[in-house]
Amino acid sequence: MSDQVRSDTRLSSVSRDVRDQIADLQADYIAALDSQDMKGWLASFDENNSSYFCRSKENEDEGLEVGYMFDDCHERICDRVKFVDEIWAGTFEEYQTRHFLQPTRCKSLGEDLYSAQTNFTVMYTDDAGITKVLASGCYDDEIVVNGVARLRSRKAVLDTNVVPRYMVYPI
Amino acid sequence: MDARVTGGMDLNWPEPGVCDAVPYGVFNEREVYDREMERIYQGPTWNFLGLAVEVPNAGDYKSTFIGDIPVVMTRDDDGNIYAWENRCAHRGALVIRDSCGSSDGSHTCVYHQWSFNNKGDLIGVPFRRGLGGNGGMPDDFDMKENPVRKIRTEDYKGAVFGTFDWDMEDVDSYLGGDSVVNGHVKRIFNRPVKVLGHARQYIDSNWKFYAENTKDPYHASLLHLFHMTFGLYRSSQTGGVRLSNDWNSVLFSESGTDDEKAMEEIDDAHLRTFQSDYSLEDMSLLAGRAGEWNDNTTLVILSIMPSLVIQQIQNTLAVRQILPKSESEFELVWTFFGYEDDDEELTNIRLKQINLIGPAGMISMEDGESSVICQQAISRSRNARNVLQMGGRTPEDQDHLVTESTIRGFWKKYRELMAY
Ligand code: FES
Ligand SMILES: [Fe+2]
Repeated sequence: MSDQVRSDTRLSSVSRDVRDQIADLQADYIAALDSQDMKGWLASFDENNSSYFCRSKENEDEGLEVGYMFDDCHERICDRVKFVDEIWAGTFEEYQTRHFLQPTRCKSLGEDLYSAQTNFTVMYTDDAGITKVLASGCYDDEIVVNGVARLRSRKAVLDTNVVPRYMVYPI
Repeated sequence: MDARVTGGMDLNWPEPGVCDAVPYGVFNEREVYDREMERIYQGPTWNFLGLAVEVPNAGDYKSTFIGDIPVVMTRDDDGNIYAWENRCAHRGALVIRDSCGSSDGSHTCVYHQWSFNNKGDLIGVPFRRGLGGNGGMPDDFDMKENPVRKIRTEDYKGAVFGTFDWDMEDVDSYLGGDSVVNGHVKRIFNRPVKVLGHARQYIDSNWKFYAENTKDPYHASLLHLFHMTFGLYRSSQTGGVRLSNDWNSVLFSESGTDDEKAMEEIDDAHLRTFQSDYSLEDMSLLAGRAGEWNDNTTLVILSIMPSLVIQQIQNTLAVRQILPKSESEFELVWTFFGYEDDDEELTNIRLKQINLIGPAGMISMEDGESSVICQQAISRSRNARNVLQMGGRTPEDQDHLVTESTIRGFWKKYRELMAY
């Protein structure tokens, strides 16, 4: 990466206020998921227009759109909440997640839209109390910031190409 | 034969020919697993290696496994696909170390740079004649006698199979020739396919718990509440099971065909039940496109043992490759595909509906879990037996979905191959 590009996408390239709002959004997002609060997860997305994709790096690198989760409109993000909370309820073995984030890049896309990259590691603990890594990867986001930050689109790209067992909750 | 591969003979098997129960020892003993690697995976079976479109050009390769044995499939200049064990003929290193790629037609082991062509023949040995008069291979060292271990392959309508058994019948006969099972394979591979992507999941269970699951129409409407709720699949629908060569099977159904009386019986059974009044915010997920194959079939699960599942659920198409890793672990590799001539709208329908399947799929997530909870339960149950009597006691074709007939077929063939 050239010096020019690096300085344009550094976290410090956007105002402290914007950074704070984005940090709040990221914190709310993982706090919701780590307490299995799917409605809280939903609240992180822009209700007028948003999308959520979760896919492996293997597919991303080959330009293949297939994902573990492919919610290309806000309506389907809402539906995912219903699947987990109501339809699947009681059929899967609960697992506790812990998300750990590290923002790496941020850039203004004009008006109130920003792009951001954030590394993540997600640990999970099963019923037997054993903790393992669920996934490691990077969020590639577009975020609307206007007094409060909301996700316009989130793409969770997993370096973890072989996931353990199954995934119920989004990353 | 390897001394270790006599395991499982002393298990509490039912009488010969009886296949409505098996002892749990088959699911968690290393000796049984070793015997499977010998008698099934290196025996008279066709194993799925990949789709032909994954190696479109000469020199392209893909590494995968037969059982737990690393293998490579490559396409040669002659247009054919070849496969060989991914073990260098010199001192055993992996020749191919990445999952797929392209080459100039020679594959060089990194360790001492022996190289092999697409067919697996040895074509280069550095310092073969020595250096400055020193060293080198003996004069009678014959390159021709040192290929990698070759695997017989067949490209069957775009699905590539491999076998270590050079006397095997061809794939068409293995799938049952004119059988309904093979008819469903031909239906899905009726035109050129294109790969949409992959998914991989690692499951802490014996591969046979999953094999049973893919042959089990009984569980599908009970475990998968999404199916039930949205009517994608219910036991009350028109459908059935067919077998070929005992352990290859297909289960198929048509949504929207629920038998009313059967629906009432489901209601009366007070199952962990579904609410039929659910609606989705985005109904386009389920709308799909009808009639792609000029029929009403909305669900096809082909279970081609020992390593392959081919599926159509609504408009999704996928192959799932079952790769055993030990007696209590396997990896499941999903390859999602569509057809080369899909229009953009159809590709989008498939991408959207892939939400239904894969490791986070609305109707396949639970299958991984069901295999795991079986494995967890049987740790000390080697001679206890399961019960496989739904729909009868023999393997047979049936015109309904309330059956374990195809699972009985699996065990019948399994006992035969394993000589139990
Ligand atoms: S092990 Fe492959 S060249 Fe020596
Ligand atoms: Fe299932």
